[in-house]
Amino acid sequence: MAPSNHQNWRLPPDPSRADLARAAAGDREAFRTIVERYGTMVYSVAYNVLGSHADAEDAAQDAFLRCYRSLPQYRSEASFSTWLFRLALTTAVDARRREGRQPEPVEMPEIVDQREASIGDHVDAATIVRALGDLPEDYRTPTVLRDLYGLPYQEIADLTGRPLGTVKVMVHRGRAALRLRLRAAGVRPAARANTAGVGHATDAVAGHEGGEA
Amino acid sequence: MDCGSVRALINRFIDGELGYVETAEFQQHLDFCPDCSEELRELCELRGALAAWSGVRLAPPPGFADRVMAAVQRQPQPGSPRPLGEVVDGALARVDEVLGRVRLPHGRTIPVKNLLGWALAVVALVIGLGRRRGRDATQARTP
Ligand SMILES: [Zn+2]
Repeated sequence: MAPSNHQNWRLPPDPSRADLARAAAGDREAFRTIVERYGTMVYSVAYNVLGSHADAEDAAQDAFLRCYRSLPQYRSEASFSTWLFRLALTTAVDARRREGRQPEPVEMPEIVDQREASIGDHVDAATIVRALGDLPEDYRTPTVLRDLYGLPYQEIADLTGRPLGTVKVMVHRGRAALRLRLRAAGVRPAARANTAGVGHATDAVAGHEGGEA
Repeated sequence: MDCGSVRALINRFIDGELGYVETAEFQQHLDFCPDCSEELRELCELRGALAAWSGVRLAPPPGFADRVMAAVQRQPQPGSPRPLGEVVDGALARVDEVLGRVRLPHGRTIPVKNLLGWALAVVALVIGLGRRRGRDATQARTP
């Protein structure tokens, strides 16, 4: 599960073999440098999958604990960044929302470098975060895995433990819901009044599931 | 192809799952249907924005690395064997999951793991006694 089609994500450079070996042997200072170098990557993945600061921090911490425990099994065939990225994704998907937690209002994450925040001609970061935050969790996770991180549907099915057809329907619905949110946020001011078409679209995507599931 | 068929295929088009003929028919429809073209354009714009957002680095909350390291401190060294008690407990929990309970002659049921625990205790006792006898014998031989 290499982070395939997201050339947008610049993975940090791998630590040296010597540093990795020291961390794998239990050297905590060496491990700390890994946490500092990759904290942003692991946290970003966790936030995007889970959509809340509290859940993201728990999952990111858990990912680093898993990393610490399984470093001795890490083989350098895959780059360390890719290996840790995969671990972060898996951990975030595994994380369940804490029982009884009230749905929080969407909290904007802190963007490290504001120059990165212009993500489209018509779309700004806050609109995307809010639109993702409004998605039902069932749609959010597969849609994030597919359209942020470019995972093939089959890998999403394996990760989430859901049938392939279900995963596709969730992503299709997630996209439809996000598109409507972006419209509602006035992302396309020039868009013609085309509400009939919008209704159509949702029906078409929902109707599509019968053929695939 | 009519609008309904095109909308039903739009996600598979985006995902590159349509065959040659379907793609041709799909695009033929888009050439004269502004509504479907608009929907496709919006979905493509959405996907572009999501892909771009995936590259935006989000800062972990202050003190994150410290909290991770505090949690790491509580971990055993990586690769070190887990304490024996933990291993046995883990194994018994698995036995419990897999085998569940056994019914005794009087109709009572007990978890299989209890039986296994007792069996392990007996084995440990026998081994212990054996070792002690061996040691007694060695001691007896030394003057
Ligand atoms: Zn049409």
